[in-house]
This record gives sequence, C-alpha cells and structure tokens, in this order.
Amino acid sequence: MACTKVRGNEVLYSVYSVLALVFVLMACVELCDASAVMDVYRLIQYDLSGSPFGSRRASLNHHAGSALFSPGTDLSRTVIMVPVRELNITLLRDYLTNKYPLGGLLLLLSKKSAEEKDTNTEEDVGFMRSVLSEIEQFLIHANIPYPVYFAHEEEKVDAILADVKKNDATGQPATATTGGFKLVLSAPEPKKLASPTLTNIQGWLPGLKGEGDGAQLPTIAIVASYDTFGAAPALAFGSDSNGSGVVALLEIARLFSRLYSNPKTRGRYNLLFGLTSGGPYNYNGTLKWLRSFDQRLRESIDYAICLNSIGSWKNELWLHVSKPPENAYIKQIFEDLSTISEQLGITIGLKHKKINISNSRVAWEHEQFSRLRVTAVTLSELSAAPEQLEQTGGISDTRHIVNETSVLNGIKLVAESLVRHIYGYHGKSFEIFADDSSLAINPFYVRQWLDLISRTPRVAPFLSKNDPLIAALKKELSDHTVDVHVQHEVLDGVFTFYDLITAKLHIYQVASVTFDLFILLMVGSYLILLFSFLVITTRGLDDLISIFRRPPSRKVKTA
Amino acid sequence: MTLFHFFNCAALTFGPHAVYYSATPLSEYDTFGTCVKAALVYLGTALVKLVCLATFLKVQENDSFDPYQELLKALIGFIDVAGLYFALTQLTHRNISQNHKFQAVGLGWAFADSVLHRLAPLWVGARGLEFTWDFLLQGLEANANLVLNISLAALGSLMWLRKNKPKTLIPIIYLSAGILATMPSITSFLARANDHHPEYYEEAFFESSIIVSLGDKLGYKEEYSVVSH
Repeated sequence: MACTKVRGNEVLYSVYSVLALVFVLMACVELCDASAVMDVYRLIQYDLSGSPFGSRRASLNHHAGSALFSPGTDLSRTVIMVPVRELNITLLRDYLTNKYPLGGLLLLLSKKSAEEKDTNTEEDVGFMRSVLSEIEQFLIHANIPYPVYFAHEEEKVDAILADVKKNDATGQPATATTGGFKLVLSAPEPKKLASPTLTNIQGWLPGLKGEGDGAQLPTIAIVASYDTFGAAPALAFGSDSNGSGVVALLEIARLFSRLYSNPKTRGRYNLLFGLTSGGPYNYNGTLKWLRSFDQRLRESIDYAICLNSIGSWKNELWLHVSKPPENAYIKQIFEDLSTISEQLGITIGLKHKKINISNSRVAWEHEQFSRLRVTAVTLSELSAAPEQLEQTGGISDTRHIVNETSVLNGIKLVAESLVRHIYGYHGKSFEIFADDSSLAINPFYVRQWLDLISRTPRVAPFLSKNDPLIAALKKELSDHTVDVHVQHEVLDGVFTFYDLITAKLHIYQVASVTFDLFILLMVGSYLILLFSFLVITTRGLDDLISIFRRPPSRKVKTA
Repeated sequence: MTLFHFFNCAALTFGPHAVYYSATPLSEYDTFGTCVKAALVYLGTALVKLVCLATFLKVQENDSFDPYQELLKALIGFIDVAGLYFALTQLTHRNISQNHKFQAVGLGWAFADSVLHRLAPLWVGARGLEFTWDFLLQGLEANANLVLNISLAALGSLMWLRKNKPKTLIPIIYLSAGILATMPSITSFLARANDHHPEYYEEAFFESSIIVSLGDKLGYKEEYSVVSH
C-alpha cells in the first residue's frame, strides 16, 4: 500500500516537472514575435528645482495613428507617429496647454538629410536645423504627461507609417475595433538617477624652465567642454556644440606636443588642456575643476581660451569676453587673432558681456574663469550668449552640419595665436603650422575625431565614470600631454535626471475585433455545415431534423 | 483579443474531428476507445519515424534533390502505413463493424497528428499580438489532413481487411497507396520546382492531398456499395 502511494507520488512529481518544463518553454518562446522591432530614444525626463520637465512616462501599449486631429477625437489610446519635419508645433502646443489626452508620441527623425549631404544645400540643412532645434527647445521645456520617443525613419517604419496613414485617411483613427498597428513598449517606471557625476580630464605640456626663471612658469589654458544635452539623451551627439571644440583642442594638443618635444622650440609657457563636463548646466564641471586648483596655479594662468562651437558653415567667429576690451591681455589676444583671421579669410568680432554675479546663469565657459579672476575668452561661432539648455548639442546637432574646413581654420587660428603669444612674435605675418610643413594640421586626424565624437552621445548624467569615450579622450590626451588627470565631481545644482533613454519598440500588426468575430462566424458556420452534411450523408435527413426537434436523441432511441 | 483569435484557430483545427465523431454513427456505437488506441499507435509510430529519420537521413546543406535520400524518405514514410496496418488489424477492437473501425482509426490518427503538429505552434503563435494568416491556413490544412487520414484508413481496410475485393478496383487501390507513400518526396520535389517557397510547399501539399483523397473517396464509396451489397 505504502509502496504504491510512493510510486503514485513519484509519478505526480514527474508530471509536475514536465508541466513546469512546458511552462518554461512557453515563456521562452513568446519573447519576440513582432512584425517590427526598432530602437527608440526617449525624450529626456528631468526635474529643474523640483518642477517636472520632459516626458514623464515610458511604457506604451497603444494603436498607431498618423496625425494630430482636431480636438474632439479621442486620442487617449493612440500613439501618433509623425515625421519631425511634418510636426505642427502650434497644434502640439495647443494639445499640451489644453491638456488633451494623447496615448503617446513617436517622432521620426529623417536619416536622409544626414546621408544626402551633397544634394542638400546649406540652406536646407540650416532650415532643418532650425526646425529641429525649435521642436527640441519646445520639448525640453514642456512638461509632457505621456511618453515621447524619437526613432529614425527606416524602410520598415515608412511602410508602417504609410499603412497607418492610409487607414486614417479612410475615416476614424484606429482603435481596438478597427485594427491596424499596435505599438508596444514595456518599460518600468523611470527612476531618478543617483547623483550624476561630471568627469573633467586635464593634461599638461610643461614649458622650458630657464635659468633665471622663478619657480613657476606662466600657464595658458585651452579648454573645451565636451558633454551635451538634448531632447533625446541617446541622440545628443553634439557634433558642433561642442564636438568641434573638443576636436580642435585635441589637435592643438597634438601640434604643441610636437613643438614642445624639441627643447629648442619648447616655449616658456606651460600649456594646460582641459576637457570639462557639465557645460549645459552652467559649466558646473569647469567651476569644480577650477576650484580644485590651488591658488598659486590659478594665479599663474596667463589667460584661458575656451573653444565652443567652431564648426559651422558660417565664416565668422566671435571672441566673447567679460572683461572690458581695453584690458591689455584681451587687446593683445584679439589683435593676434584678427591678424591671423585676416590671413585665413575669416571675420572675427569681439563681444563684451558683463558678468552679473547675482545671476546663477553662466552663459559662457570663460565666465567661470572670470568669476575666479582669471583672464579668459571664449571663441565661438555664436554671436549671442545662448539661453540655458540651448545650443548644447541636441538632436539637430549632427555630423553633417559641421564644416571640417571651419574646424581646421579654427584650429589654425588658435594655434597660431598661441604661438605668437608664447614666442612673442606679435604683429608679424608668418605661418608656423603651414599646410605642407612638418607641423601641418592633420585633416584626417580631425575628421576621424569628428566622426567618433559625432557617433557618441555625451549627456553627462548618462556617462559613467569609466565610459569608453572618457577613456578614449584620456588616452588621446595622454598620448600628447603629460600628467593627465581625470577628475570626478558630482553635479550640484537643481537638476534631477531620470533613467530609460533607449528602448526597443515592438510594432505588431493586429486584427480588429470585428474581424475576429467574422472569422468566428465563418468557422462556426463551417462546422455546422460540416455537421449537417455528415449527419445527412451517414444517417439521413430525418435524423438531423430529429436532433433539432428533440435534443436528447438517445431517449428517442430507448423509447 | 488574441485569445479570441487563438480560439478561432483552435476551433478550425480541432473542431472538425469532434464534429466528425459526433455527427457520424461513430458516436452511437461508442468507438471512442478505438480512436484513443489509434491515437496511441500514432504516437508510437511518430516516435519510431522520428528515430529513423534522425538515424538514416543526412542533414542537407544545400537544397539539391538527392534521389537516394528521397528513396529513404519514402521508405521511412512507409512506417506510417505499417502503423496504420497495426492499428487496423492487430488491435483488439470491440466488436464493431469494419466500416466504423476504419473511420474510428482514421479519426484518432488524424486527431493525434493534429495535436502533435499544430497545437504547440498554435498556442505559441496565435496568442501573440501579431496577426498572421498562418494559423487559419494551418487550420484548413488540418481539415485536409483529416480527410486524407480517413481515406488512408479506408484504403488500408480495403487492402487488408476485405476478403473479396472487386477485381476492377484492385489496381486503383494499389495506385493510390503508391501515390500516398511517395507523397513527401513528391511534395518536396514540387516545392523545389516552385522556387523553394515554403508557401508553395503548403499549397502543393494541400492540393495533392485533395487530389489523392478524392481518388480514395472513390474507393471508399465503392466499399460502401460493396458492403451494402
């Protein structure tokens, strides 16, 4: 008895294990069966001193629609797919201000403009850029209660969008009853990021100490902020702002490392190269970096040149200063720069903007230096100081808007002016970094770095301490300079960021309920027909009729 | 909504078997046991067939038509016939007429085939959000398969169980038996001729099964007439 019980238990257990296996298999197989899976990039979500901005949701499970309709249609369960160039920003603003419900927004960025660089005129590029940055600024500064994603236009997506449009054109927007496409993205609730780190990288090129010199040589700092901020953190490549500045800094470091490697040409100035982070957040990283210097070092800095966005197609640059232009240093720098820019065929202007200490906004990187009483200038293509989170390398700032020639010219301009200052050849016309000399600027090096930088999103809160990009920048600096030091700081201030910046969106083609009902009807009638046919052929018509007359047919037989 | 679709497809795939059982006199003579036994025999046969396929067939790297491999495949296909033979002749059935026996065996056989081949894909696929026609087509295929299997059982019972076969029918019976046995080879050959497209394969299978089952229906009708005589 006991034996059989045990055996029964064993059988039960084996059945259980088989069942468990079956369930596990079922769970595994169901993972991916969508008609299209695509990478999507979520709109940034952040709090600015407690008030929420950006997209506040992440998960999607709605039908696809193609356009914002006039208010009145219920879009609370529809995700609008719309190419960015067709997006009506006033309508969207209306939607937000009137708090109309919307299931979600999928903005499609065209990839074509990036690839067909040759066919696009500069005006086109500029137009697209201005449209994109308008939308970006709007999205960054809005509080959007539904998920917003960016995606690239691909063939598959285009086909789906065309289908959705056709479907919408026939009448009502798609809901559960009319079928169409369903966009599914399951994501957890976005979580706050714990204290974002800012990583500054610095490198030195020590000058030649003469016999009679004091303990400390004067220092010239070349600084560029490398991080970005944009509507989609995973798409904030910032090729121009401030990828161009970073590339210029690296190339200048390379040129001067060659110059300084020979004791005969080594200047009597230390060169300090600094790649700073936190640029979009009032140059918080620069501030931390400067504060980490001791007083003596800070006082030894003769002046600092900050490079910011120097790769545009426009052929003009601006020198932004916060000290009055009558200041001797600034006069000297500007004179040097303007003589060289004349040779290069660039126009250069001087802009003076006073610092308002009570205002927390720091518009230019040099202002952080100036606040600490270090003479500094910013070289930029921008004629006016950008607002906060503006011109920080967002989705519109991609590789194709950067003009390599401008970057090369910028590099030459800064390098030549540095040479004039270091060796004291003011006002003379000569060219150290001539194109065919051994000290020529290497356009391939510049292009490669531009390409790399333009492929790497660099929003500081989403860059880890040992991100490959930081490692690469550190390695590049240590190839050309000495005492390379990486400094990690915590971003202080009013920003709180949320995670989830990329996700996979599944697009399913779904059938409508009415279609399912129709199929049910067809299958049911088929089965009934089959039943009747079989009964009639095997038992005769009378039997069939008798089944319907008196359902319990067996009783008929026994009776 | 997707469970709905699953239900539809399941009804189309497995409904006809139930309908066949309840509508024909099979239900009146309580042939359920025979159906279950036939299904079990099918299970065993499928297992043996799998083992044979795995042992004797080489994995084909390219899609070439290898006559030797196809011959082997056809021979392995005969294992089905052997299984059916076993189910028809060796199983101790309750005392039911030959007429009902082959129907019950065919039905059990077809049902087991449907469950083994179609239930798992249906469960996995048709409940997903994505809509495809595949599972509805699969349901139609199950219907064709039911007809094919019952005809096959009818053919078997004609060959092995009937003592006095009408002379004129014998060549037709053996011809259909031959066609059925070489079916997998024919379909694979057709599929290759038709641009290697899997859909063509299904279509070809569907069509040829209908053709063959029509031929068999003839034999089966004849048998009816013989029985009634």
